[in-house]
Amino acid sequence: MTARPALELRDVVAGFGPLTILHGVSLEVGTDEVVIVLGANGAGKTTLFRTIAGLIAPRSGSIRLHGAPIEGRGAHLVTRAGIGHVPSGRELFPRLSVADHLLLGGQRTKPARRAELLRDVYGMFPQLAERQAQLAGTLSGGEQQMLAIARALMTDPRVLLLDEPSTGLAPKVVLAVFDTLRQVRAQGVAVLLAEQSLTLGLSAADRGYVMDRGRIVISGTAAELAADKRVADTYLGR
Amino acid sequence: MSEIAAKGAPHPRFRNPRLLPAAVLAAAVLAAIPVFGSAYAVQFGTDILTFTALAYGWNLISGFTGYLSFGQVAFYGLGAYTVGLLVTDTAVPWPLAVCGGGVVGVIAAALLGPVMLRLRGILFALGAFGLARILGVAFSDFALAGGGNGMTLPAELTPTAVYVFMACVALAGFLANLWFARSGFGLDAMAVREDEDAAGALGINTTKVKVVAYILSALFPALVGGLVAWNRSYLDPPSMFDPTIDLQSVVFVLFGGIGTLWGPLLGSVVLMVVDEEFLVHFPDLALLLFGLVVIVTVLLFPGGLVSLANKRGWLLRRPVLAQSALPVGEPPAAEAAESLGPVLEVRNLTVRFGGLTAVNEVSFSVGRGEMLAIIGANGAGKTTLFNTITGFVVPTSGDVLFLGRSVAALPAWRRAQLGMARSFQIPRVMAALTVWENVLVAARHGRQRHRAVAHAAWVVRTVGFAEMWREPVSRLSPGHQRLLEFARVLALNPELVLLDEVMAGMTREEQEEVRAVVRRLREYGVAAVAFVEHVIAAISDLSDRMVVLDFGRKIADDTPARVLADPAVVRAYLGAPQE
Amino acid sequence: MLAAQLIIDGVLLGGTYVLVAQSLNLIFGVMGVVNLAHGSFIVLSGLFTAWFFGLYGVSPLLLVPLTFAVVFAAGVVLQPVLLEPLVKYGRRMELMSLMVTFGLNYVLVEIALQAFGSNYVTVPYLQGVWSWHGITVSQSLVAAGALGGLLALLLHLGLNRTTFGKSLLAASQSEVGALSCGIDVRRMRLAAFAVGVGLAAAAGALLVLVLPMAAESADQLTILAFVIIALGGLGNYRGVAVAALLLGLAQSAMGFLVGGDAETVLPYLLLILFMAARPKRFARAVR
Repeated sequence: MTARPALELRDVVAGFGPLTILHGVSLEVGTDEVVIVLGANGAGKTTLFRTIAGLIAPRSGSIRLHGAPIEGRGAHLVTRAGIGHVPSGRELFPRLSVADHLLLGGQRTKPARRAELLRDVYGMFPQLAERQAQLAGTLSGGEQQMLAIARALMTDPRVLLLDEPSTGLAPKVVLAVFDTLRQVRAQGVAVLLAEQSLTLGLSAADRGYVMDRGRIVISGTAAELAADKRVADTYLGR
Repeated sequence: MSEIAAKGAPHPRFRNPRLLPAAVLAAAVLAAIPVFGSAYAVQFGTDILTFTALAYGWNLISGFTGYLSFGQVAFYGLGAYTVGLLVTDTAVPWPLAVCGGGVVGVIAAALLGPVMLRLRGILFALGAFGLARILGVAFSDFALAGGGNGMTLPAELTPTAVYVFMACVALAGFLANLWFARSGFGLDAMAVREDEDAAGALGINTTKVKVVAYILSALFPALVGGLVAWNRSYLDPPSMFDPTIDLQSVVFVLFGGIGTLWGPLLGSVVLMVVDEEFLVHFPDLALLLFGLVVIVTVLLFPGGLVSLANKRGWLLRRPVLAQSALPVGEPPAAEAAESLGPVLEVRNLTVRFGGLTAVNEVSFSVGRGEMLAIIGANGAGKTTLFNTITGFVVPTSGDVLFLGRSVAALPAWRRAQLGMARSFQIPRVMAALTVWENVLVAARHGRQRHRAVAHAAWVVRTVGFAEMWREPVSRLSPGHQRLLEFARVLALNPELVLLDEVMAGMTREEQEEVRAVVRRLREYGVAAVAFVEHVIAAISDLSDRMVVLDFGRKIADDTPARVLADPAVVRAYLGAPQE
Repeated sequence: MLAAQLIIDGVLLGGTYVLVAQSLNLIFGVMGVVNLAHGSFIVLSGLFTAWFFGLYGVSPLLLVPLTFAVVFAAGVVLQPVLLEPLVKYGRRMELMSLMVTFGLNYVLVEIALQAFGSNYVTVPYLQGVWSWHGITVSQSLVAAGALGGLLALLLHLGLNRTTFGKSLLAASQSEVGALSCGIDVRRMRLAAFAVGVGLAAAAGALLVLVLPMAAESADQLTILAFVIIALGGLGNYRGVAVAALLLGLAQSAMGFLVGGDAETVLPYLLLILFMAARPKRFARAVR
């Protein structure tokens, strides 16, 4: 792509304590793309996302959001810079209401913009609009995932990071969630998605990367990856 | 293997040549004080020994077993008052009365322990504190022994006798700690400290371990309290149940090194001396000093003086029941099958939490010689099912039969001892212990418990940890930690092995190694294996049958080939093409 | 009318207890730290109030905001020095922070002893009583109970109705989730601790109106706060409010029926009784 990418990683090395999990990861996400990161359990997808989100500080390499470096910043600052993180496991606030989640997500945006975002979000997720006062802990799995995405969208992000949104959800629900991602992309928000489920994942994405043991080993368009036999091999640990 | 643990960590010497001369010197100093020292020296010496004994007692329950107690003074007071009552009302001589105090302390702990130890962490600490305060009030208010006004005793001034007896109690305390530091029982206590639930899964009767530790740790303050009463003319509740006595135990052990063999001694000696000096200049600020010591120790060197010494290679902890070289070990003898029926049978198992039905009327069985794979999407109920079979979750209805007998009412540790072993999804290995000790804990409670050391050695070698058997587990890579989980399972010498996502986080080479060991499980007396797994390809050729769970229900139960081709299964779960 | 008397006394006493407990609940909920020094903040504030009143005759009710402000400021300094460094220890943080606050407790108690001596004091303010149909209520108890309840209510509203308060609650329910909203969780921890100990100080200024207080009361007050939280449910603000009121009632009744020290032992007894009766509930109550 010719325009500057929304998110760009170059040779990111990261881990915990004495262990290195990411061994020099480089990738790009364009401003109106949905990019997927595939890989088996343990390939490093969640570590990658937590590093981008600022929960883990990289040892070396750079992470740029629309050209501006964000590596090493605290997670709350990375959010404020424009990365919307939908963590694996969702990390909702069980005893706060749907409306409160959206309020908290949008607390740093200007009121006018916040009202606009709220309208958009309730439009995208009518089930949430119907349950504004309900406590997050009592929502169904699919509703919780939608709330997590909605909360991240309220931060008015330039890039949305979704870590394994299909976890615990029936495939029908997952497809509904992925549908909303297309709407998100249409609004100019870049999406980086980590997914275990191969076919579901590729159905939603424009491009993808496959990770294995902390490295990107294959990359290409969704069509290319779908046809590539090596992808299934890496993914299934063969 | 990838990510080898850091080698070159210092290891303790097994026959420390400096130990004997140091012991002789210490004995000489101890003996010299009453013979040559002034009355002040004897008193100070007694004080140091007093607090050393208290510290060693505290270290048993709070240091080794991990149940922080802020209320050991309850037993101190009980011991003192028992002695007071015996001496004033009967003709029992003092030394015997002191022993009586010890007995009372032990009985009290035996009665209270099972209740108190149901609490964990902070609740236990405060419960213990509360107990001590209740006793203080009880002795004040109900005129049991003079009430709030206290009780006068026939004064005897035998400082040397008290000194000698106190030295004996302190020595006994040291020996009790030595036993905890070096024995299998002590290892069980440390396992409870590290991870109580995992300890249960390894076959440790955690309640029994905790109660024994609690009783032992009550003995010392009870004896000390009685000895302190000996040379006092007067006992009253505020001084016999004084919370600052607990404070001092906590501070001394923490400063010296909590949970270590030498920590209580070092902490007591150093801080008592410092305190004496400090009190000369600032007579009323003892509490301030102690509070600051605690704060600084926790923030700067939470492992105490011993951890500082460890950095220079001194006073290193010796792994339990280990020699300088790993024994050769022997594989377990093959045993005749007890029954011919299925190894595991799950009947109409239902598990409900609140409004959620995690497992819904699931039934299946695993026969002798079978390997069963349980697959399903995240959230399908696999782990809950596992936890119910192994005893970590109580089912709402239904039954679990192991080797033909119902085990649904048995606690997890009992099932482990009977031969049902499980691994955990996230490795729950005991980080402060070595690889050897992690394996040994399991070996001591499984079906090879009569030859635990030999069996543990064999397991360590078979799984491939021979090079790093003495490494602290905190230094292992995640892949190695997973392998260690697996080793512990093997060390139980189980008939049924339940593996919870054992392939996750492993490189392809590591997965191959696990597959190789799993294939050989039959040789090691394992009658059946059940896996919960995500990485289907890693186990589809390994398993004889597959059960598929979807939202808590079983939707398929057949050979892998048929299951993976079943369109219902593909529709419900598989997002990946299966060729 | 005896029953009514006991009930009213109990509820009013419970009102001050609510503040004592909720302030600790805030610290535990957001930080996961059980502040064993909580009672020492209460006592320092109470003793200061008594001393100041003795010297200048200023209404203790005016000292409530003052003690809050001073201790709040102290909390802002103490949290990053003593507690924030322990966050990196993960699971072990709970026991380590227990130790640190244990040490802090003794430092503060010693300071109280040095500054104010070891005597029990109370503030003879609003000494009058109101009578109504045979029930007498001391005015100071009403003031303390009502103000304590009011402050607790303000805390509740602040937490549940303001964005900042909701951010605090969010930080206590999911740190990662809060970070993903741009919430500075470290600052939330600081705020929770500073507000928590500040409110403890406010509670101390109120309690000294109705209960004799000395440096050595610190431990007892900490236990009291803790028992209320354990009974009401850690992190559960409604449950804790109810538990505080019930404890006030129980103490009022017990004080009448048995008298003397039995009152002070009640919290410990309750804790142990509940432990014995419903161990599982307690086990789950702690994070």
